[in-house]
Amino acid sequence: MSKCALKLVDVHKSFGSSKIIDGVNLEVASGERHAIIGPNGAGKSTLFNLISGFYEVSSGHIELNGHTITNLLAHQVNRFGLARSFQVTNIFPKMSVFENIRCALLWPMGYRYSFRHLCGRLKRLNAKVEEILEKIHLADRRHIPAGLLAYAEQRALEIGITIAGDAQVILLDEPTAGMSHSETDRAVDLIRKVTEDKTLVVVEHDMSVVFDLADRISVLVYGEIIATDVPDQIRDNPEVQEAYLGKEVA
Amino acid sequence: MNQDNTQKRNTTLYYIQRYGIWVTAALLTGLLPLIFRSGFALSMLSQMGIAIIFALSYNMLLGQGGMLSFGHAVFYGLGGFISIHALNIIMDGKLPVPVELLPLVGGLGGFLFGIVFGWISTKRAGTTFALISLGIGELIAASSLMLPGFFGGEEGISGDRMLEVTLTGFEFGKQIEVYYLIGFWMLICVYLMYLLTQTPLGRVANAVRDNPERAPFIGYDTHRVRTIQYTLAAFFAGIAGGLFAINYEIVTAETVGGIESGSVLMMTYIGGVGHFFGPILGAVLVTFMQLSLANYTHAWLLYFGLLFMGMVLWAPNGLAGIIMLHEPVWRAGLMTKLLPAYMKAALPAVMLFLGLMVLIEINYHLSLSIDPDAPMQIFGIQFDAHSPISWGLAFLLIIVGFVFFRRAAGLVNQSWQNVTYEMKRELR
Repeated sequence: MSKCALKLVDVHKSFGSSKIIDGVNLEVASGERHAIIGPNGAGKSTLFNLISGFYEVSSGHIELNGHTITNLLAHQVNRFGLARSFQVTNIFPKMSVFENIRCALLWPMGYRYSFRHLCGRLKRLNAKVEEILEKIHLADRRHIPAGLLAYAEQRALEIGITIAGDAQVILLDEPTAGMSHSETDRAVDLIRKVTEDKTLVVVEHDMSVVFDLADRISVLVYGEIIATDVPDQIRDNPEVQEAYLGKEVA
Repeated sequence: MNQDNTQKRNTTLYYIQRYGIWVTAALLTGLLPLIFRSGFALSMLSQMGIAIIFALSYNMLLGQGGMLSFGHAVFYGLGGFISIHALNIIMDGKLPVPVELLPLVGGLGGFLFGIVFGWISTKRAGTTFALISLGIGELIAASSLMLPGFFGGEEGISGDRMLEVTLTGFEFGKQIEVYYLIGFWMLICVYLMYLLTQTPLGRVANAVRDNPERAPFIGYDTHRVRTIQYTLAAFFAGIAGGLFAINYEIVTAETVGGIESGSVLMMTYIGGVGHFFGPILGAVLVTFMQLSLANYTHAWLLYFGLLFMGMVLWAPNGLAGIIMLHEPVWRAGLMTKLLPAYMKAALPAVMLFLGLMVLIEINYHLSLSIDPDAPMQIFGIQFDAHSPISWGLAFLLIIVGFVFFRRAAGLVNQSWQNVTYEMKRELR
């Protein structure tokens, strides 16, 4: 297996007395597309929140490209090269589409908290914004406040913000939730295109998307990963069928 | 050749679009005191210049950073006190700073306090920030009583702006010279604050305002962003305070207090927090009300309060919001479709206001004047406050005004619907 992009070792998370994540071990190889599936309430989103620094772990260890990122703050994790999207659309609603993407590029392009530069004059920055807008098919919507976009467009923008900074590891939390069939197909194409050469971890409920997109799949049930394997093996795994697929697919 | 000419014209147009507004502002600042020549007008214009800087600095918090502060006057007042102390030190010959640069001393003071208070209070925005800002405001107001050496107790600290050291040859004996100094700093501060909105920091401040939950996931420490934004806002408030010190040659503890903090909040809000120029309108209008309305009626604070409430309820985007709402209508050339309805609404609105005003003034006269039985005057018309006729007239104005205003409001709504429909059709 090639280099390990993301590594979780015996990660636990409890809220009060309820254990949500109960000893997760996971290794995602660099360049891999990895899907996490599991029934509702299995702790998939919590796992994302732990990796991305939104929550602190109760115990355990998380590594990103060899750096320990356990319990770092979200912006620190992000600066190590991990970006994520959210299950519920999480954009900057009053700012224009263009401005949303531009803000996502400022830190990665080294402008930090600068009050010496004028955004309008930064040609390299604005060219990069254009490039991403083309990629996510929102170039003709650039001036519209993000909050006024249609739902599927907002989801595309969400992905655009996430991939803008060229982070090497991308976490997408249910990127196709609430979309129609045709919208889902387009979203999957988009995801495949923008995560080329990157490591992708995706939580998804739509099984056709999962089996279409993922190189490997992990199945999370009640805070534990019960299997990690290539899609065909997961499909045939009796334990998985019983815990999850069996009920939903049958 | 032809193409060359068009290009030249285009660049000229570009420069006019880009800098025209600033040249106009500079000309206006320069010419206004030549049009309004009275001493009172000059004092008012000077105060307006100070208020514009102060309100815009406040909007760096509220409008651009999403931080509702109840204690922004802390930096205005502290900037003022630091400047007036500096002025006295310069007077003693111990500090060679020309009076023209004194506002920078105030700004620096605001900046340093801004770092400290900003770091303490901006970990979270929302209610937490608002309450801490209230606490800091109270803290400084209370310490003004405990530290008379710095705050000068009840009589404040005074100074004399007529220094030996000046840059411009102005001696600042005349108010007009002070006005031009204020105008100069006002233009510079407005321009700088405008540019700040265009910088990475300014844009990220918007992002943190819009969605503080998401901002860390594009690499930003929200606490740091707010602290820097807060500190810069404090810097500009400090400059406004420094100009205050030069303008009045006295700074009292009231300048750091809650009333001043509330006043800048209301100016900014009435002007409109959503557009850069909003607070400028608010500062001009509220300063005008504060200084001139107070000469006409004891009830001016009541009118001011009513105006503020009305804006919060019916025009939450402020004067700037109302103006910008009409911008697309203006562009589409459809203003003529709105104006008749506005005219029809204006008359009953005036009636309604007059009725309310008569009622308020009668009540103020009866409860607060030395001799309630003496006849009172409104717009030169004398009448008896006890007479049922005056009361009846007031109520009649209110009722008739209200009924017709309700009808006209429906008409305004209808015209707006028509205009919106037409604009949409043109888009297609």
